[in-house]
Amino acid sequence: MQNQLLLGYFREHLFVADIDADTTAGVLGQLVEPLLKNSLIKNKTIILETLQKREALGSTSIGRNIAVPHCRTLAVSEVIIVVGISPGGVDFNAPDGEPVNLFFLIVAPPQDTHNHYLPILGKIVEIVRNDDIRASLLQCGTYGEFIETLEEGLR
Amino acid sequence: MAGKSQLELLVQYQDLVLMLQELRDEAVRGIGFQVENLSRLEEAIQELERALHPRYLRTFQRIAARQHRPIAPVSRDVCLGCFARQPTSYKARAWDDSELITCEQCGRILYWID
Repeated sequence: MQNQLLLGYFREHLFVADIDADTTAGVLGQLVEPLLKNSLIKNKTIILETLQKREALGSTSIGRNIAVPHCRTLAVSEVIIVVGISPGGVDFNAPDGEPVNLFFLIVAPPQDTHNHYLPILGKIVEIVRNDDIRASLLQCGTYGEFIETLEEGLR
Repeated sequence: MAGKSQLELLVQYQDLVLMLQELRDEAVRGIGFQVENLSRLEEAIQELERALHPRYLRTFQRIAARQHRPIAPVSRDVCLGCFARQPTSYKARAWDDSELITCEQCGRILYWID
């Protein structure tokens, strides 16, 4: 997956700077909220239940304060990424036991004609495993800072 | 399951079946997420099978025999499985839980997402 292609998936209206939930279900609810608000889904129930089923199989946190909740669902018509920041951190059952501060929610339709879902998932995991980029991303508080940091990190 | 239509249950069923297929896929596992107990997912799928009307489940399985993903989303009256335009009248009928609407071109069960 090319960096420029990935960057095209991030949107300011799909950025949540103030996640304050303190449970996995609460965080997922706040991450899904912009999809409803921007009419990208019709209702939250199906997508939330699918995401929660996925978390029940093992946390999608990859440790080091990052989580990448993800699923395919018929509830969406295109691959969508929502970025969420929890300034205080949330217990997300991370493998290292650390709280999660940065979330990348990735949802995709089953048909995903361009087949971008898995490459996006893999690319984001690769990016946040880079210590420098991850440390910078974890300092961001606004969408502007986030996208600028990401662009810089991917250069 | 309470409060969901049979179509919504079928949608969730397809989502979970696809999740199970992908989590068994080596390429997906290679990304590195932890997956502990797939039997939980299998149980959730079985629970949905029990909640579904047998007639609907049979329809899903019959279509699944020829289409990898038996339910197709519909956006702006277009089936996103085969891109055939659907009659406008179908949308209203789709929310009546007494029938499943299928695409006349590809045969998939239709699910309106807008």
